[in-house]
Amino acid sequence: MSAITPEIALRQPAVARSPFSPLATLARRRFQLTASRPRELLVPLVTPILFALVIAPALKTALHTSVSYEAFVATGTIGLLIPLNTMFSGLSVIVDRQAGAQRELLSAPIPRPLLPLGNLLVALATTAFQIAVLLGVAEARRIHFHITAGGIGWFLAASLFFAVGMYGLAEVLAARVPKAEEYIARVPAVAIVPWFLAGSLFSIKAMPVGLTWIARFLPLTHGLALVRYGLLNDPTALHDIWGMHSPTAMAGLSLLIVAAFAALLTRAATRVFSHAAIQ
Amino acid sequence: MATTMQMESGPATRARPAEAAIVVQGLTKTYPGGIEAVKGIDFVVQPGEVFGLLGPNGAGKSTTIGMLTTTVRPTAGSASLVGHDVSRAPLAARAVSSVVFQDAVVDRGLTGRRNLEIHAQLWRVPPREATPRIEEIAAALGVDELLDRPVASYSGGQRRRLEIARALVSHPRVLFLDEPTVGLDPRIRAELLDVIAGLRARFEMTILLTTHYLDEADRLCDRIAVMHRGEIVANDSPEALRGRFGAELVELRIDGDGAEALASLRAEGLADDDAFAVGATVTIPLRDRAAADVIARIQGLGMATHAVTTRRPTLDDVYLRLTGGSLAGEHA
Repeated sequence: MSAITPEIALRQPAVARSPFSPLATLARRRFQLTASRPRELLVPLVTPILFALVIAPALKTALHTSVSYEAFVATGTIGLLIPLNTMFSGLSVIVDRQAGAQRELLSAPIPRPLLPLGNLLVALATTAFQIAVLLGVAEARRIHFHITAGGIGWFLAASLFFAVGMYGLAEVLAARVPKAEEYIARVPAVAIVPWFLAGSLFSIKAMPVGLTWIARFLPLTHGLALVRYGLLNDPTALHDIWGMHSPTAMAGLSLLIVAAFAALLTRAATRVFSHAAIQ
Repeated sequence: MATTMQMESGPATRARPAEAAIVVQGLTKTYPGGIEAVKGIDFVVQPGEVFGLLGPNGAGKSTTIGMLTTTVRPTAGSASLVGHDVSRAPLAARAVSSVVFQDAVVDRGLTGRRNLEIHAQLWRVPPREATPRIEEIAAALGVDELLDRPVASYSGGQRRRLEIARALVSHPRVLFLDEPTVGLDPRIRAELLDVIAGLRARFEMTILLTTHYLDEADRLCDRIAVMHRGEIVANDSPEALRGRFGAELVELRIDGDGAEALASLRAEGLADDDAFAVGATVTIPLRDRAAADVIARIQGLGMATHAVTTRRPTLDDVYLRLTGGSLAGEHA
């Protein structure tokens, strides 16, 4: 190590480049931090893959249901994967605040809402990777989907908006909860309980009427119905929610709800983050 | 016991210079619940000056830094960095400043180089300038050989130097150093003081330093503001602050209560208003009196003393007189 000899020529701060460059810097930083801990990518995959590949076939055998039930559950596990991964991504916000560089980022000459938005980009990328792995593994297990060009559009839009909304929820929770332990304690209530109510393993109409009505108000129910409409070309879940005849109209309405969920939670996340960052 | 000793010629009362690096006027912060952390403070720091905020925990130093770095919203008053109001133009204020935080504020999972690159990118240092600048500053701070290692593998002193290097990458006009040597061993602390003194000596950069350590403030700062319970109770050069007690003082270590002993000494005309007691120690500035005469008169009172010494005033004396307590005693 060399001796400490401060001989630094200080100059004026440079002028701004592209307005998007800080967002790219923040997203790249978050990606590098995530990549330095690969288990953050892999751990959320375990439970959904277990559901899709082990529990669903077992249920199919035990309940004597059709072959398509495996596809039903495989798509349903996307509704577990997205909340789990986005909630784990939110945990990194607390780590950043307690033992990372968050205060350095807050002192940077950039709009502070860019910080959660940079995190969001990486959460979306890792979620997309995990969904791709899940579907790839399902295909390898000979679970077949019925995919059309239009269906891909519904699937991608629903997954994107739902993941954005869930990440917003994770940011809000991370801003409100002071410790990682407390945050983790809340994850089951946010990420897992709604999954059981949202038609992931069975139709929402199989539940008591009161729970069916609760399920209709969950964004996850709409997201899952859209995913199944997109990947299985099956509008049944949409019909269970809306009771209409036009699948496109029902899909449009559900997408509107998921998009509103995304917009609302993203707005809340940036506001809560900025508010929490300034005392 | 807090005593206001604002110098009449102090910078806080001078006309505001147009080119001032930091201007603070009536800055106030009241937290929810009515806790007044900072109570309408004023000070001006000139370009190239090293300005120390001295005081114990709870004095309002960190809240003041927070307001200047736009992470704490002022309740009243104003502050500006190189002419940029921290409330009305926070991005511009942040663009001309950098902060070295008291705690570790660094991405441990990334390399030292990546931490510096992120700072350069967020402060919009042109890419072609960033790489050589990082190398130059890292070499100057003695972390060049560590740059490609994850920060998690750094020692406390290495990490602290990396954080200072990071703050310099954007060539800030104003550098905030918040308790920069807390928690470091004496050797690393001495090295860092050399670094900071070197920056101060060579470059036209304004430094605002907060510290608990009086020796640190004495060595580094052109001017020191002593904060106590949210107020600035003194603001002057270290020499001028020490000069308030004259050239010499007498220190008594007594049996019993120092405050009672001080009252007796005042009653006998041996101690003026600037004398003070902390625990069982009584400190009496001599002014123009002869030490031998004062000591003889004290001994003539029959006061039970362990030791009677004479010495030159230090910043500790100034601090104790102004705040009525020791720094160490208020750390917790």
